[in-house]
Amino acid sequence: MSVTPLTYHILMALADADRHGYGIIKEIGLRLGQDEEPSTGALYVALQRMGEEGLIADTDPPAGEAGEADPRRRYYRLTPAGREAARAESNLLAALLAAARAKDLLSATGER
Amino acid sequence: MRAPLTERVVAAVLRLAPRAFRDRFAREMLATHRARAAERGGVAFALREVAGAVAAVLRLRVGDRTSVQSDGPRSTPRADGPLRGMLRDLGLAGRGLRRAPGFAVAAVLVTGLGIGASTAIFSALNALLLRPLPFQEPERLVLLYETNPEFDWTHAEAAPANVLDWAEGVPAFQDVAMYGAFTDQLTWLRDGDAQLLTLAQVTGNFFHVLGVAPAAGRVLLPEETWVGGGTRNAVVISHALWMSRFGGAADAVGQGMELANGERAEIVGVAPEGFTFPADGVDLWAAWGWDPADRTATYFRRAHWVRPVARLAPDATLAGADAQLQAVVTRLQAEYPATNRVMGAGMMPLRDYLVRDARSGLLVLAGAVLLLMLLVVVNVATLVLVRAAERSREVAIRHALGAGRWRVVRHIVAEGLLLAVLGGALGLLLATLGVRAMTDLTRLGIAGATTAATDLRVIGFAAALTAACAGVFALLPAVRLRGGSAGSALRVGGRGASEGRRGLRALRTMVIVELALGVLLVAGAALMMRSFDQLRRVDPGFRTEGVLAVRFSVPAARYPNRDQVLALQRALVDRVEAGPGVERVGMVQQLPLNGPSWSSQFQARGWPAERVGLDIVHRRADRGYFEALGIPLLRGRLFEPGDGPETEPVVVINQRFAREHFPGEDPLGQLIAYDRAATEASTWRRIVGIVGDQHQETLRAPPRAEAFEHREQDWGRTLWMVVRGGAAAAALTPVVREAVAELDPLIPLEEVRTLGQVRRAAMAGEELVMVLLGLFGAMALLLASVGVYGVTARAARRRTREIGIRMAVGADGGQVLRLVLLQGAGTVVAGILLGLAAALLLTRAMSGLLYGVTPTDPATLAVVAAVLAGTALVAMLVPALRAARVDPGGLLRAE
Repeated sequence: MSVTPLTYHILMALADADRHGYGIIKEIGLRLGQDEEPSTGALYVALQRMGEEGLIADTDPPAGEAGEADPRRRYYRLTPAGREAARAESNLLAALLAAARAKDLLSATGER
Repeated sequence: MRAPLTERVVAAVLRLAPRAFRDRFAREMLATHRARAAERGGVAFALREVAGAVAAVLRLRVGDRTSVQSDGPRSTPRADGPLRGMLRDLGLAGRGLRRAPGFAVAAVLVTGLGIGASTAIFSALNALLLRPLPFQEPERLVLLYETNPEFDWTHAEAAPANVLDWAEGVPAFQDVAMYGAFTDQLTWLRDGDAQLLTLAQVTGNFFHVLGVAPAAGRVLLPEETWVGGGTRNAVVISHALWMSRFGGAADAVGQGMELANGERAEIVGVAPEGFTFPADGVDLWAAWGWDPADRTATYFRRAHWVRPVARLAPDATLAGADAQLQAVVTRLQAEYPATNRVMGAGMMPLRDYLVRDARSGLLVLAGAVLLLMLLVVVNVATLVLVRAAERSREVAIRHALGAGRWRVVRHIVAEGLLLAVLGGALGLLLATLGVRAMTDLTRLGIAGATTAATDLRVIGFAAALTAACAGVFALLPAVRLRGGSAGSALRVGGRGASEGRRGLRALRTMVIVELALGVLLVAGAALMMRSFDQLRRVDPGFRTEGVLAVRFSVPAARYPNRDQVLALQRALVDRVEAGPGVERVGMVQQLPLNGPSWSSQFQARGWPAERVGLDIVHRRADRGYFEALGIPLLRGRLFEPGDGPETEPVVVINQRFAREHFPGEDPLGQLIAYDRAATEASTWRRIVGIVGDQHQETLRAPPRAEAFEHREQDWGRTLWMVVRGGAAAAALTPVVREAVAELDPLIPLEEVRTLGQVRRAAMAGEELVMVLLGLFGAMALLLASVGVYGVTARAARRRTREIGIRMAVGADGGQVLRLVLLQGAGTVVAGILLGLAAALLLTRAMSGLLYGVTPTDPATLAVVAAVLAGTALVAMLVPALRAARVDPGGLLRAE
């Protein structure tokens, strides 16, 4: 795998909207369940690293939320490189899933 | 408002992150954490957040630095750098530990408890000895005190006139400030509301000498010492009062304060946050406002009631300043023989003075917690070693299959590291909780100046302990494994051979050490408990059950003269005494066991000039005081209704007074004056009665010679009312409150305590030390017995085959039991003897804390040895009984 699971989840969370750290955690929680949310510490270490790697960048709060924006909260957006990484990873995962389905590891109904 | 505990721990951990990360993310992370905590909460979440923060800091501090230089997304897996490899090893170790949850939980819990206890005690020491005082260059501040061999004064309050002479005569003092040895209470009338405030009276240069700058407005000015008339015109208020009553508004400065005694004060400034020196809870500072004529008044040199603090000149030394001070002291002794004939003086660094009472208890606790930590490390190291031995077969197989030895060792090191780090994080959390619990029991730190907090030094201490644990947990098994060869572990059928004689011997040695440490810690706890019990048995000389004490002051504004004050006090006594459930009411100047009392010297009428009674305690009281507290009248009479402000002054003395100062004479009817050179002009008081002794300041010291004046003859505005009722003392509070409110609703009850509380407070320091040593002792007992259990169980299991054979050839369960117990007995006896020997050497350090029991008390040590032996026996019995129940047939068939 070319990116860590947490990196991938952050990329996913930012794919459709710019979010602040708390928003990213909520978005991950929606997909994985509250118990699988990363700790605050882990999230920000990942955000720093992804910033250094050019996957994400700081951004202004979205227009709708600017009024109520908490000045302590920074918003993050995907860079083109980040979007490219998310896409590459998703393709890789899709290929893996297809292989898994072919080997009958995954039922067609998607039951877990 | 305090932030929630988890948030503070996370914040504290984040302080260890690299600066760049902190600057960029810390605030944001805490905001995010807070938002999550608000909707989730729970222990599991809290632990995960703390663990996440710790992991984040570790990753940032040790994670590989190459990522900083990389640009653009990474499309290939990272190079396996050594640190990243380490992180992966940690992940593997975590998974390994999850497969052995019993071991992991036990090791982390024990380590966490040890680090937690050590760090909590360190926090207290830190507040007392290490945290900076909130003063400028505090190392140049010295506390001055007076000494007097005749009165046994060693660190006494000073007389202001002497201090002023020192300040002028000692060039090494840059400046000398004074503060009152006691704080005062006064009542602030605000919007029809009466609020009680604590006032510290100081010289005008107080803030200048300490080097404390105001948070708003100005500090007091040196010239305000001498404005005359005792006015409290200009006051500095505390930061806490500024926040609570003025909301921190800048226009608080300049506002007036209406006081219940009719005075008016003007707020000129606000002290900085956290500064309430010289006491906790000070709300206001005011300059004394002495009259310049006071400077030469006799009382200014006779009464000792100020604490002087000097700032040394930049180039001055303590020794040099002291030499100059002694020269002035000698001069004053010659110049003022009436007051200063044998009056000495001395100085010590301010901090040393402020911590002197708490120090010995804390150092004993620090010693105890050090031993406990040692025990914890040995205990967990034993667990780790046993686990390593259990896995030696697995390791041998991996060796045989070609895994590099380095790789195996690395895995073990990572596991030890992970255990230590998890234990350390748990410890930090427990320490924070522990500090909070201790703070509820007693004051940690220096009154008015420092508090215990999880600062960087405390975190550093916990981190250092964690690192030390990591070293032991990781290296010990690694070294042992590297020593063994793969062949030896695989050779014998069934069990690994590293379980052999050598491994067991190492375990036995560790258990001996654990038992010895257990004896030491339990002995410390037992001694402290016996001492506390002795202290609790001390008869204070007065009854403490069912008595309530209430302090109040009669304001001068509305009751300007003596007769009005006495009338109000009399009305109060009558009214409360008529209240439901009240049996007897009295008044006294100072409660026993509640702080320093006034002392004097005296002469009796007819004594030669050189005969003087030194250092007697005296208080004002009335008949009701003795009767409410059940203090027996031994001879003569108590105060009678016929004694009053206009009649001959009378005193009641205690038994000690009679025995010490009138040996072979009858004190009754004698006249005494509180004067070392009494004349006709002195106030002569007739001794009319002798009462039983009461402890005055402490339960530890025996009662001192004491005299009681009649409170109407030496009248005062501030008194304690003592109320004895049939019911529980606290239930009397509303009765008193109602009576006072009916007479004058503007008189607040300044302090309300039961005598039971007063007595408990007098033992609070000892109680805290006892509780903590008791906890350490209990933990030590548990750890030591776990150690004994572990080694016995392993020894028995190692001999299972032998036992099976013995039983097959006819040995019965009793014989097997004896065999296993005897084998462990040597270890236990050796451990206990070693512990007793160490205790004889080390408990000496406690002698300053103990009361009524010697540090090597044989009875106590014998009980301790018996408790340890009994516990060890139980710990051995469990595995021994299991061995005795072995089914020999099944065992041999399995072979």
